Amino acid sequence: MEDGIALKSKVYTVSELNLEIRKSLEKDYSLIWVEGEVSNFYFRGKKHMYFDLKDESSKINVVMFHNNNKNLIFDIEEGLHILVNGYISVYEKRGEYQIVALDARPVGKGSLILAFEQLKEKLEKKGYFDRIYKKEIPILPAKIGVATSIGGAVIRDIIQVLRYRFENFHLIVRDVNVQGSTSSDEICEAIDDLCQYGVDVIIIARGGGSLEDLWAFNTEKLAKKIFDCPIPLISAIGHETDYTISDFVSDKRAATPSIAGQLVILSKTEAVEKIKNLNKRISHLTDTKITMLKKEVNFFIKRRIFIKSETLLNRFNQTASEFHGRLIEIMKKIIRMRQENLKLILGNLKEKNPITVMDRGFAIIYKAEEDKGVRSINEVDINQKVRIILRDGILSARIFDKIYKKLELGSGNENR
Amino acid sequence: MKIDKMSFEESIKKLEEIVRELEDENISLEESMEKFELGIKLSSNCLKKLNEAEGKIEELTRSEDGKLVTRELDLKKNS
Repeated sequence: MEDGIALKSKVYTVSELNLEIRKSLEKDYSLIWVEGEVSNFYFRGKKHMYFDLKDESSKINVVMFHNNNKNLIFDIEEGLHILVNGYISVYEKRGEYQIVALDARPVGKGSLILAFEQLKEKLEKKGYFDRIYKKEIPILPAKIGVATSIGGAVIRDIIQVLRYRFENFHLIVRDVNVQGSTSSDEICEAIDDLCQYGVDVIIIARGGGSLEDLWAFNTEKLAKKIFDCPIPLISAIGHETDYTISDFVSDKRAATPSIAGQLVILSKTEAVEKIKNLNKRISHLTDTKITMLKKEVNFFIKRRIFIKSETLLNRFNQTASEFHGRLIEIMKKIIRMRQENLKLILGNLKEKNPITVMDRGFAIIYKAEEDKGVRSINEVDINQKVRIILRDGILSARIFDKIYKKLELGSGNENR
Repeated sequence: MKIDKMSFEESIKKLEEIVRELEDENISLEESMEKFELGIKLSSNCLKKLNEAEGKIEELTRSEDGKLVTRELDLKKNS
């Protein structure tokens, strides 16, 4: 204190000076926006964030406390160009100053887009989208689970498509909000419930909307839920051009909810058609085999006359007749089974969808005066009037001739 | 495996396999009869499976005591 210079000016203690600086800085920089690149990012205990914000020639410390960073939807990471909103605070104990960030947003693109890209990259690295984890969607699920809003058009679209493809489908709908802050959690819960209840396939669905509207389907929590879901899951979110994280992690993406209805179950008409065709093929192949053998037997029977030895001839006759007998037995059995099978197929089609049967050229014949279908040519007389019911109308006709012909093996007419 | 325990997918697959086997000209009559019979049974099973589902639309909710329950979904009331 004896120094003359010191006497002229005010002498601060270090504490006093830091306090003054603090007051001044916090007053002048109480709410600022600052732009820069993130470096030395440190997320202590996943609570408070510490990093530097820098440009070409300078840098400043930033802290973002848990309370302020918990609502950030994108991740702050090394090298990211961001805009920070906050104030300057001075840490008097060490004579250091820093920005206390209240909010942050990416520069150059929207927070949602950045968040989407970051999560997509992160999950991709973790293998969430790998083909090897994709479960196959069953083609004939006994129970179809759907998580969507029952107030919307989406569930109606799905039901409409299902009705068209497979009229006796069994749908279990779990109502959820498909938008809003609770939506993502609700969908997770719905997936759990559908798994617990026991369905064969799950569809999560929502109609189109903005990236923000679809946000529930872009959370890490839902992605993890879908990834861990033991039941095959179809993601049907928005329009064809909308992609969500759920789409990538699900076992199958349906471009729209209606398409999910198509992917989730086979078409019954097509399935019956396919079975019928396989059936026809099997019958045809068996017929061919038998015709071939029949020819062989006949050939041998005819060759009997060339055999001179009595014993040999007898033995041959015996073998041939045994073989012949067996062939006849087999053919009888085939005819019986074929008829039963035909009844089954026709029954199936008729019972479930008579129009489809008629579309293939089948007709129903009624006697003109009765409402009973004609099943045998014995039921009508020559010259009798009949009605022929076709898909698009009724023909009035008169019986012109009757030809008795039993449905026969290999005649190719058994379906007519 | 018993045929009625086979899934639709398995039955169709097996049916297609039978067609391929029957296409082999060297197959014996006995074998082709067995295959034929199996094929007919498999296609019956497929058709049966197609009609097995009940044709219901239900809503899954939780009852007051937290149990999962289903009830018929009435979409009209929400429209």
